[in-house]
Amino acid sequence: MKNVVEFKGVTKHFKDFSLEDVHLQIRQGCVTGFIGANGAGKSTTMKLMMNLLKADAGDINVFGLDYASNEKEIKERMGFVYDSNVFYESLNLKDIRRIVAPAYKNWNDKQFFDYIKKFELPLNKGMKTFSKGMQMKASLAMALSHDAEFIMMDEPTAGLDPVFRRELLDILQEIMEDGRRTLFFSTHITSDLERIADYITFIQKGKILFNDSIEDVQNRYALVKGSMDVINRDVEKMFIKIERSSYGFTALTNDVAGVKAVLGDRVTMEPATVEDIMFYAKGAEKQNV
Amino acid sequence: MFNLIKKDVFIQKTQIGFLVPLIMIFAIFIKDIHPSFIFLMAAVFIPLNAYIFDHQSKTNILLNSLPYTRKEIVAARYIGAIVYMILSIILAGVILYVLQFDYTMRDMAIAAGLFCLIAAFAFPLFYFLKAEYIFIAAFIGFIASTIMLPPVFRFLAEHLTTITDFITSLSTSTLYLSGAAIAISLYLISWVVSQFIYQRKVF
Repeated sequence: MKNVVEFKGVTKHFKDFSLEDVHLQIRQGCVTGFIGANGAGKSTTMKLMMNLLKADAGDINVFGLDYASNEKEIKERMGFVYDSNVFYESLNLKDIRRIVAPAYKNWNDKQFFDYIKKFELPLNKGMKTFSKGMQMKASLAMALSHDAEFIMMDEPTAGLDPVFRRELLDILQEIMEDGRRTLFFSTHITSDLERIADYITFIQKGKILFNDSIEDVQNRYALVKGSMDVINRDVEKMFIKIERSSYGFTALTNDVAGVKAVLGDRVTMEPATVEDIMFYAKGAEKQNV
Repeated sequence: MFNLIKKDVFIQKTQIGFLVPLIMIFAIFIKDIHPSFIFLMAAVFIPLNAYIFDHQSKTNILLNSLPYTRKEIVAARYIGAIVYMILSIILAGVILYVLQFDYTMRDMAIAAGLFCLIAAFAFPLFYFLKAEYIFIAAFIGFIASTIMLPPVFRFLAEHLTTITDFITSLSTSTLYLSGAAIAISLYLISWVVSQFIYQRKVF
């Protein structure tokens, strides 16, 4: 499978935060969910992807091209949805279209107005009156109107009411149907991932912890529950983090087979949700998540 | 890039409507105003307004996410400013002509030169500063220049007679040509500096 985006050893330092040696691949034709705690480096990674920031070291390729010599071509083929309004607040959608449309070679006006109708967006109201969901739809309509092959979305579902969120996820699912597009979106809401993502990228403290298919992640991790007396030093090594309580322990493992072989029936195992993985990885005692 | 220049009109179409009455008010009510000042004000109006708009909200993120390079964004700003300056000065010229307010081509040329000087300093400064400080910087700049400039000119006039003698000894055409050359070179240098700053900007 081809990669739409490739980060090779990308490093970016800030005063109080840095991305270290990030390797990342986003596969073509798939939905990749990007998760991580606040301040883990999600927005920085996405800004690097859009060339809003420049990496201190490493290579970033989009569609196999680099920004230094192909910036315009890359951006022609990319769509973006940011988590806050980037459009001129006092303008309405009609005027925004007059600014955005001529920027793209393959802009399709008919498609734009079709999506505006479908998303039930007002053409004559100022952007500042748009709710977060409407802004999201407006950005998405623009991305789809220039037939973007790769759409990057920064927390598209945050702050949306549940009904609207489902609607957006349905729209995303629909635009992915023909298999030509690639979608990369960051989120805090892990149930979104389980609904539409094929791959999950997990970032923590500026490091990518994993970047795998959702089945792989679900097969690799499990929650283990049992009484405290089975815990010893060797057993501890198989766990990413152990939560102890007076009734026993709950732990996250990425070594399902190992735990089964050593502890067998003395513990119970449950599939770990993405949220479990995020929670346990946060306080990980060992760094081999 | 032409699209980026055109964009400056869309984003401030309501504000542009104020330009004509503003010029008329100046011409009708302030009789002893120097025509150069009216031309300068008209020239500054659109480019400065466009600049302020683009610094609002997160427009830089939008422009840089569209298929434009940073070089083009800065170039559009500098070329657009000249285009709008010329159009505004012509507009002001027509209005003043209709209102029978006396002016000469020289007044227009002085305004254009001053515009280049102001823009040459203001643009790189604005690119360098964060949006929230621009208003403060412009305000301080304005106060400082009103306080500082008259005494500076008086000092120059009194003490540096050699310079003033030299300037007055020049023929008018040499004076204007060299003035134009200085204004244009500063504008071009400013363009290079702005590009350098903008290439390194983080959004």
